[in-house]
Amino acid sequence: MDFTRRQVLWAGGAIGTAALLAACSGGGTSAEPAATGGKPKKGGTLRIGALGRAGAITRDPHGTQGNESDYLVLALVYDTLTVPGAKPNTLPRLAASWEPSKDLKTWRFTLAKGAVFHDGSPVTAEDVVWSLRRLRGTPSGAARLPGIKAENIKAEGADTVVLISDYANAELPLLTRLTTFVLKKDTPDSALEKAPGTGPFTLDWYRGGNARLVRNDSWYGGTVLLDAIEVTMFETPQAMANALLAGQIDVASNAGAVAARTAESRKDIQVVRRPNDMSMPLVMRTASGPFADARVREALRLVVDREAMVKQVLSGYGTVANDIMGTGDPHYAKDIPQRERDLAKAKQLLTEAEFDLSRTYDLVTTEDISGLAESATLFAAQAREAGIKIRVVKQESGAFYEKTWLKGDLYTSYWGTNDSVVFFASKTLVSEAGQNEAGFADKDFDASYRKVIGTADEKARATALRELQQIEFDRSGYLLWGMADGIDLAAAKVQGLPTLAGYGRVQLENVWLR
Amino acid sequence: MAAPVRAATAPRRTLPLLGRVAAVVARRVLLLAVLLAAVFAAVELLPGDAATATSERGESAADVAARRQLLGLDRPVWERFGEWMTALPTGDLGTSARGQKVTDLLADPFPNTLLLAGCAFLLTVAAALALGCWAAARPGRPADRIIGHAATSAFAVPEFVISVGLLLVLSLWTGWLPAVTLTGADGDPATWTMLIMPVLALVIPQTGWNTTIVRGALADQAAAPHVEAARLDGLPTRRIILRHALPGAVPAIATGFATSTGMLLGGTVVVEALFNYPGIGGVLASAVASRDTPLIAGVVICGGAAISLVLLAADLIRARVLGARP
Repeated sequence: MDFTRRQVLWAGGAIGTAALLAACSGGGTSAEPAATGGKPKKGGTLRIGALGRAGAITRDPHGTQGNESDYLVLALVYDTLTVPGAKPNTLPRLAASWEPSKDLKTWRFTLAKGAVFHDGSPVTAEDVVWSLRRLRGTPSGAARLPGIKAENIKAEGADTVVLISDYANAELPLLTRLTTFVLKKDTPDSALEKAPGTGPFTLDWYRGGNARLVRNDSWYGGTVLLDAIEVTMFETPQAMANALLAGQIDVASNAGAVAARTAESRKDIQVVRRPNDMSMPLVMRTASGPFADARVREALRLVVDREAMVKQVLSGYGTVANDIMGTGDPHYAKDIPQRERDLAKAKQLLTEAEFDLSRTYDLVTTEDISGLAESATLFAAQAREAGIKIRVVKQESGAFYEKTWLKGDLYTSYWGTNDSVVFFASKTLVSEAGQNEAGFADKDFDASYRKVIGTADEKARATALRELQQIEFDRSGYLLWGMADGIDLAAAKVQGLPTLAGYGRVQLENVWLR
Repeated sequence: MAAPVRAATAPRRTLPLLGRVAAVVARRVLLLAVLLAAVFAAVELLPGDAATATSERGESAADVAARRQLLGLDRPVWERFGEWMTALPTGDLGTSARGQKVTDLLADPFPNTLLLAGCAFLLTVAAALALGCWAAARPGRPADRIIGHAATSAFAVPEFVISVGLLLVLSLWTGWLPAVTLTGADGDPATWTMLIMPVLALVIPQTGWNTTIVRGALADQAAAPHVEAARLDGLPTRRIILRHALPGAVPAIATGFATSTGMLLGGTVVVEALFNYPGIGGVLASAVASRDTPLIAGVVICGGAAISLVLLAADLIRARVLGARP
C-alpha cells in the first residue's frame, strides 16, 4: 500500500449505501458514474486539475508519489492488478481473476486476456513479476506489499502470477489495488518517463507536472469515450477552484470543502461528493499513560459531539462515525448502535476510573490536512464541558512523525484507505501491527483478527468480523467522530465521474462529455 | 545588499573599470556563497529532514534510515555543503530528495519566473519614472499629493490582497482575463494574457515604492545649484526635470530599482501560487516543505544570481554617474 504522508492519502474506498454496482462496460472494473445525463457519447477532451507541487514531481510509477497530479497521470497510463470498487471493494483490472490456496497464503492471479502494452506487445506474467519485484525493492516496498518477499513473487506460465504471503491473508488482493503499476520487464530507470503502460490512456506529453493523454483504442478493459485528458497541476485548491469557475478546466479533483462551499451557489458547477474519503481519528494510547484505562477512553468517546464536529470541522461535507475504522467496508457493522454524546455517563466513568481532572492533557496535532488541527481544537472545547482540560499542541509534520506518532498519549491521525475494516485491523490494531498507533494489544481482538484473515468460509468470517468490530467499538484506542467526504468540482457537461473515495477518483475511463 | 556599494566605488575610482567590476563581482559571489551556507544551515535547523519529509507512512524506521543514507543525510552538513559547492562550477545543482535532477526541476520554472519578474521590473521602472517625474513637475500641487498618497498606499498593500482583487474584478466577475496560468507542452504559459494579472500584482506595490524614491530623489536635486540655475534661466519644467534634475537623481533611483528586484522575486512566491504560475516560487515552497536542501539551494543560487546581476548593473550605473560628477 502506498501512503504519502503530507498529501491527502490516496487509497481505495467504497461508497456506502448510495452506491449501486456500476454497469461498467467491458471488464466491469470501474467506478460508478456520478450522474447520468443521457446516453454516453464518444469524443472530447477532459481538462482536469489536480493538486501537486513543482518540487515534488516524481515520474517513477513505484516512487514516492507526493503529487496527486502525478499519481493521476500514472494511474491513467499504467494499470494495477486490481482496483478499488464499491461492493466488493476489490475489482479486477490487469488481473482478471484470483484464487487463494486453502491456507490463504498462496494467491494465483490470472492476467486479463488481450492485455497489451501501448507499443503493442502483449503483457506477460514475467512483466508483472518484474514490476512487482521492482515495487517490493523500493524503500517503502515492505509497506506496499506487506508479508510478500520479492522471491515469493513468481510467474507460472504466460498469464499467471503467484504471490506467496508469509502468513494467511484473505485480504491480499486488496493490497494490489494501489501501486502495482505494471511496466515492461527490464525497463531501465532512464526510460521510465516514456515507458509504455497498459492503461486506458497513453501519454502524449508530460512537462513540469502537466500532461496530456490520449485514448488507448486497444485497451482490454472496454471502450474509452474521451479522446484525450489534459492534466494541470495546481499548487493550491483555491487556484484550482478559480480555474474551474473561470471555465479554464472542467474538473477540479479533490478540491475540498472550502472550494465546494464557494461553488455551491453556481448552478453550472456540480459538486461531486465521495463519502468515506478521509478519517481523522483521535488516537488514545491504550498501552500506557492516562488513557490506558478503557473506561477513560469510553468517556472521551461519549464526550465528543459528533454532529457538531462534522458540521464545523468538515463544513458539513461528511458523515458521523462510530469509532470503528473502515467505514466504507461492505462488511462494516452498521447494526452496532451509534454512540451519542452523554456527558453524565462520561463523568461517571471518569470518576470510576479515578481519572485526574486537575491535570491538563496535551492533544498533539498537525496541519497536514485541512480540518485536522480544527478537529483537535473543537474536541478540546467539547471536552472542557465534561471537565477535562485539554491543551492542543500543534507540531510540524516532520517533528510529529518523529516524536508523537505511534508514541504519544493523545494525538490526531488521518487515513485515506477507509473501505476495509481488515485493513486497519492488520495495519494499526492487531498487537503486532507495524503502525499500531495506540499500542493496542487485546487478546480477543487478535483472535478475531486471525479468524477473519484465516477463514475462507464466508459466514464464519462474517461472524468474526462482526466480533472484531464490536471490540474496536468497545475499547480500541480510536475515537473516530466522523468521515470527511472527498469533493470534486465539475462543469455541468462532465458525466460519469467516479464517486468512489480516495484513489477511486482517478478512474476516469468512463467519463464522457455531454 | 546595496550597502557595500559605496565602499566599492568612490575610493577606488582610479582602478580601471574592469578591475572595479571584478572586485564587485567577487564580493557578490562571496556573498552568495555565504548565503548558500546559511541556507544549508537553516534547513538543518528545521524540524525533520528530507528522509522523513518524503517518506511514506508505511515505512519503518529502518526504511527511513536507509533513505537517509541514500540521500547522504547521515553525513555532516558541511560535508554535503562542500560537495554541493564543488559540483556547482560544473553546472551540477545536485539531486532533489525525490531523485530528480535539480537542473531539470528548474529548467522550465526559472525562465518563467525571469519572464514574469522581468516584465514586472520593466513596467515598474517605466511607471515609477513617469509618475515620479510627473509629480516632481507639479511640486505641492494636487497631482503631486495624490500620486504621493497613492504610491504609499500601493506599497503598503500586500501582493496577495492585490492579486485577489485583480482576480475578482478582471476574471471572475468580468471574464476578461484567464484566472490562472495553464501551461502547454513547451512548459510556457499557454497565452500571453495569462501573464497580465501576475505582472500587475507585482508591479502595483513596486511602482508605489519606486515612485516615492524617484519623487524624493528629484526633490533633492531640485535644490542643487545647477537645477536652481536652470530654473532661474526660465527653462521649461519638463526640460529642467529630464535634463538637469534626473541625471543627478539616477544613482538613488538605480539603487531603489535594484532593491526592487529582491522584492519582486520574493513577491513571485506569493503571486505564482495564487495564479498557478509555473515559476520557481512553487518549487521553493515545496522544496522547503520537504526539507529538500539541494533544491532550495538551487532556487537560491538562481534567484541570487539574477538579483546580483541587477545589483551589479546598479553599482556600475552609480559608479559611472558619480565618477563623471565628482
